[in-house]
Amino acid sequence: MREQPEGAALLAVAREVLLRELLPGLPEDKAYAARMIANAMGIAERQLREGVGPQEVEHLALVALLQREGGLAELNRELAVRIRQGRFDGNDEAWSLLWSATVQRVRESAPKALTAS
Amino acid sequence: MREEQKRALESFLATKAEAREVRLIDARLLSGGAIQENWLLTAVVGGGPHEGVLECVLRSDAPSGVSVSHGRAQEFALLREAFRAGVTVPEPLWLGDASVLGRAFFVMRKARGTAAGHRVVKDLGLGGDREALTERLGEELARLHAIRPPVEALSFLPVPELSPALRGVREFQAFLDGHHTAFPALEWGIRWLERHAPATPELVLTHRDFRTGNYMLDEAGLTAVLDWEFAAWSDPLEDLGWFCARCWRFGQFDKEAGGIGSREALARGYARVSGRRLDWEAVRYWEVFAHARWAVIALQQGERHVSGREPSLELALTAHVVPELELELLRMTGGPDA
Repeated sequence: MREQPEGAALLAVAREVLLRELLPGLPEDKAYAARMIANAMGIAERQLREGVGPQEVEHLALVALLQREGGLAELNRELAVRIRQGRFDGNDEAWSLLWSATVQRVRESAPKALTAS
Repeated sequence: MREEQKRALESFLATKAEAREVRLIDARLLSGGAIQENWLLTAVVGGGPHEGVLECVLRSDAPSGVSVSHGRAQEFALLREAFRAGVTVPEPLWLGDASVLGRAFFVMRKARGTAAGHRVVKDLGLGGDREALTERLGEELARLHAIRPPVEALSFLPVPELSPALRGVREFQAFLDGHHTAFPALEWGIRWLERHAPATPELVLTHRDFRTGNYMLDEAGLTAVLDWEFAAWSDPLEDLGWFCARCWRFGQFDKEAGGIGSREALARGYARVSGRRLDWEAVRYWEVFAHARWAVIALQQGERHVSGREPSLELALTAHVVPELELELLRMTGGPDA
């Protein structure tokens, strides 16, 4: 068994210290690096919290859309090929799958983009 | 900068400035610029037309760069043509070859102010009246777009055989074909760009990175349009789409022209100089294009870190802007009308 708190919680509390205690005292030319570090820690924390569940959902949706089996990366490659061939032009089902998978990635990489007007 | 490099540079500057002697009193590496290095130089010039204190920026290749950008000699030529056409750019001074510093560089006069996009959109003490500034940027683009091929000094710029839109589509596809991971949402956006690609009746000189973050402002207004290394013959609307694209508004989404002003102001300035009224439906295509192009560039920059060639937190984080660019591509190209 792992020690508590685990990775995501550690990143969250470490990020708080960085932003609240260290950043205000940093000179201007180091503040950008500190913000980048906080951003990177936030992404890592969200990826850990999300786990592999969303990838499994994406995988199932790809199998259903493409009507074939395969690994996640392989099926995404196949989808990209068929899109380029025009086989999904105007296809709402394909668009919805892409939308859901992309929303999930944005949730991890840049969640603010989901709330921005 | 090492001492012997400084001495070599002083001697170079003295020759070019037709001076008795040049003493370099400060050479400072400026931050920003994943592709080039920028040095702020302060020199005391003795004799000749530049006598006195000369503040200038030396721009050289960085240790590693993105292959699609021009070399320094070419960027210098572009800057000169833009300067001659009346675009507000840092005055290009002298071109230096690798014999001086070990790599190609050029020197331009220092422009005052700040360029940082996040500051520019928020600090209203910069740039003067924002609608007037937006109009001014429209005028600047129109002056640039008055440059048409052929131009002898720009003969290194290829004249595209395909339309600029389809050339972009092929470039994006070629990159994705060589990449280790598929990006189907990006591919969806590129497919839309292929199906809706416009013809370009007349090629003009375009900047291709004309956006907030790449021009400098002081308290009064615009002081310089920077970063000419991506310039090419293309569709003039490519620059307008890049400028207005949602991904370049630095969070100020309601200010649709670069996060600083209205589309109307930009169009007024553009029409005043070019006589051309902007068709925003046509510009919209290039806003979609902007998201695809920025996504491809972000993947390339991220890959420099991911591949292990150039570990960098900034490059690593750039890879993480790709999902939101893809989301915007889907938003712009989904639905029954797309």
